[in-house]
Amino acid sequence: MTFHVRSDRQLIRPIHRSNRFVLVEVAAPPARSERVRPPVNLAFVLDRSGSMGGEKIRLAKQAIEEAIARLHDDDRFAIVVYDDRVDVVVPGTLAGPDARRSALDRLREIDARGSTNLGEGWLRGAEQVARALADEGVNRCLLLTDGLANVGITDRDELARHAGELRARGVSTSTFGVGEDFDEVLLQAMASAGGGHFRFIATAASIRDHVTSEVGETLEIVARGVTLEIGAAEGIRVESLSPYPTTEVRGRTEITLGDLTSEERVEVVLRLNFPYGELGRTTGVALTLSDRDGVVGGDAKLGWAYADNGANDHQQRDYTVDRAVARVFAARARQEAVGRNRHGDFEGARRIIEATARRIRGYAGRDPELRGIVDELERQLQEFAAPMMEIDRKVMYASSSYQMRSRMADGTAMKDPNRGGR
Amino acid sequence: MPPESEYSLQDLVDLGGVTPRTIRYYIAQGLLPSPGKAGPGTTYTDGHLNRLRLIKRLQREHLPLAEIRSRVASLDDATVAALVEAPPSEPPAGSAIDYIRGVLGGDSSPDGMLWNATAAASSPSGPIGPPASPPPGNAIDLREPAYRLAEPSPAYAEPPAPTPAPDRSQWDRILLAPDVELHVRRPLGRRAHKRVERLIEIAHELLEEDQP
Repeated sequence: MTFHVRSDRQLIRPIHRSNRFVLVEVAAPPARSERVRPPVNLAFVLDRSGSMGGEKIRLAKQAIEEAIARLHDDDRFAIVVYDDRVDVVVPGTLAGPDARRSALDRLREIDARGSTNLGEGWLRGAEQVARALADEGVNRCLLLTDGLANVGITDRDELARHAGELRARGVSTSTFGVGEDFDEVLLQAMASAGGGHFRFIATAASIRDHVTSEVGETLEIVARGVTLEIGAAEGIRVESLSPYPTTEVRGRTEITLGDLTSEERVEVVLRLNFPYGELGRTTGVALTLSDRDGVVGGDAKLGWAYADNGANDHQQRDYTVDRAVARVFAARARQEAVGRNRHGDFEGARRIIEATARRIRGYAGRDPELRGIVDELERQLQEFAAPMMEIDRKVMYASSSYQMRSRMADGTAMKDPNRGGR
Repeated sequence: MPPESEYSLQDLVDLGGVTPRTIRYYIAQGLLPSPGKAGPGTTYTDGHLNRLRLIKRLQREHLPLAEIRSRVASLDDATVAALVEAPPSEPPAGSAIDYIRGVLGGDSSPDGMLWNATAAASSPSGPIGPPASPPPGNAIDLREPAYRLAEPSPAYAEPPAPTPAPDRSQWDRILLAPDVELHVRRPLGRRAHKRVERLIEIAHELLEEDQP
């Protein structure tokens, strides 16, 4: 297990509200091969609306078949399909051989039609999971769709709020968006609040890979409900730039990192805003990492000293932190620019990218990685400044989403480099 | 009062259903009292075992560890023992299933009906077998379920009700500084859009100081 914290700089200014950045690196331990995996409890929720017809639904069904084949007898699963109506095709059941065989028969009968009641379909899937929550294992609803929520509950904020409430009650949600007609902001919000992952599937051909890898990661979860708690000295404001659900309770900031799979590596970038202070005085924050089962855990402290402007101007920077900060700001700018581009605001999109590139260039110095981030933003300027293809917007949004959440370019978990992966 | 039992670490592991690592972690986090002397001869008491059981019960209610600590820390051993002896209140009032039923307007699928319909529909390959542990306290509701199972049904012959056109406007939340947000409903008209842009730029200049 790894738990490292570092700051970009050690000194702060006495008569100024200084911002300093903190990089928190967490890596989960590997799943031990002799470990008896706790049972999982999954619901597969499949959009069967008309647009899913042909290859998409065929491959999605195949992916679910393969996922079910990997389950053990003491795991549970359910299958729900929806268009404008919701059908619980297989209610939550133990994954014995008979149940699996019967589920495959029923899965084959599903074909595409109708419009999309995404909200109720998903909630019915979560309900199947919630009927028999596994205390020791993971309880998760996997939602696969290629469309918008246009029947029933359609409001993004409301669906995301429900996902957060269900996460707090033990049922997490992962979402898969296929093609170019789904609402990535909705699916990302549901997965973020729901403690799972959002995956963008550009073409039907890769549905299987994404579902298989998400189920694989779920089966290999080694730490559940991982949270990072930050207690700061008076007057310091703490904000997570990495988009994890954050709550503030009695002056302590709690960031929910969710479930971590074997050897998964997560970075969290924090922005600290300091109050004015006396020259020479020190201040700081204490960070605590914990999870539900005591698998990961640790404490760390970071301190800063109030120093004069000359010392502040010439202090050493930790480029590892600067790079993480730049990656998050670049990814945020790209997502914002995608939204502007979609609304026809090409000038606004261009300005956001330009301003972000300029700001990063200001502290990049000679660091090749930081300069690389600036160059890439500048290359993308023209792309954002003209109407983009919807599929390109989706690709850009998803890759930025992954980057901000320490996921690889294909949406899979980033693995601890110290271990060389599987 | 009966004499206190003594347990080894392994006893505690077996009786509490946790790993030695978890026990050490709980002690380090202040969830369990320190056993006093360390080493292979360390003994634990009923107080440890009861606390461990109470923690596990609170975890089943999906409370975070910090919350469990604040609830358990102030309790004396007798209160912990009484709480462990009390019958569990399952499902908890705020359980996931209650929440979903609340959102879906209480027309959630009654367990019994759903199960029977499935068993009948999957007869060629035999019944799947009932859920391992149906949550207690769900009275079977004989109202019409809100949806039908995937069997051929005349209900499908009817076209679905026309769906209202979705409202595509949305609120965007723009973070200007750690404590300042701007909410904008998009899409905006061209003029309003330019003004909001200007407002964001000015706000950033005013509020973002000393950013790298």
